[in-house]
Amino acid sequence: MKTVIGDFHVHTLLSPCAEIEMTPHHIVMQAAEYGIQLLAVTDHNASANAVAAIQAGERYGIKVFPGMEVECREEAHIVVLFDNLKQLRRWQKIVDFSMRGLKNIPERFGAQFVVDDDDNFVAEEERMLLGPLQLSAQEVVRKVNEIGGLCLAAHIDRPAYSLLVQLGFIPNDMGLQGVEISRNSLAELEQLKLKRLSGNLPYVTNSDAHRMLEFLEGPKNKITIEEATISELKLALAGKDGRSWFPGYFINDLEY
Amino acid sequence: MQVREVIETLGLKLMTHEVPVDVDVIGGYASDLLSNVMGQAAPGMIWVTMQGHQNIAAVASLIGLSAVIVAGDAPIEEDTLKKAEQNDVLILATSLPAYDVIGKLYELGIRNVK
Repeated sequence: MKTVIGDFHVHTLLSPCAEIEMTPHHIVMQAAEYGIQLLAVTDHNASANAVAAIQAGERYGIKVFPGMEVECREEAHIVVLFDNLKQLRRWQKIVDFSMRGLKNIPERFGAQFVVDDDDNFVAEEERMLLGPLQLSAQEVVRKVNEIGGLCLAAHIDRPAYSLLVQLGFIPNDMGLQGVEISRNSLAELEQLKLKRLSGNLPYVTNSDAHRMLEFLEGPKNKITIEEATISELKLALAGKDGRSWFPGYFINDLEY
Repeated sequence: MQVREVIETLGLKLMTHEVPVDVDVIGGYASDLLSNVMGQAAPGMIWVTMQGHQNIAAVASLIGLSAVIVAGDAPIEEDTLKKAEQNDVLILATSLPAYDVIGKLYELGIRNVK
């Protein structure tokens, strides 16, 4: 068993709302600098920078899970994570098929860049990545689980794009493995006020970073697992077989 | 006014089949944020929404709403109807946009009165 620090909700410059400094290489470099061993890149309804992040991660000894921040039909965000690119591509195909066919307006919403693992420009994504897919929350969770991925309801304590706010409460039999809360709700960990409404699912804290300082300052998780796989993360979230997952971890000696 | 009259006047589609429609409508509410509905809607109200998730049945049952109208041809999940039947919740559907549905309910004299 090993205990590692993980952040599973980080945007790259593919997300229109993310800063240009959020290249996969840069994120991985900073993760290595500050001892964050597990990462997931999760762009809005897209994953084209996952390859670069995984490749950069291999160079720095950082495990990168390919992922996505999916917006379901109910206009709530769900963070989905996979073990490998094969699974991710299967999921991306479903997403592509469920998009609404709008074009991005970079001047208004921000540009959406695909890069390689050395920060070189590869392409600009022209489809509008923000906005809901034509898939319900339940369909997203079911399909991702079928592919072998993991689903977390994103920032449930925020007023917008939260599954909890949209649906009033989170059914515990949806197939979600956890719910993400923001730094503001860390006190809830003691009081457990949200717990009942969120189906008693385990809490997760991620940076949801759109810029580098947010990545470094944002909350992370301290996880004890055997190896860095989705099935181990599921065990850790469930607190089974000696695995554990503690949300609310912050980098102590930040000099950025 | 009873739900039966609302169904007939607005030409709504009855999605649940085992739930009686002779229920009094006390008032109306509209929102797609279920957390908001849970806080603001009152027993006997008819609720207009674009959400089709199974939680609409749970919320309607929890508050004791007279019926839920899913507007704008929004897709309703199968589990939603199952849950609605189990909990005696009336689910109605229409292709009319929510704005039109609410306008027609208002014309019928249904108000947001708790």
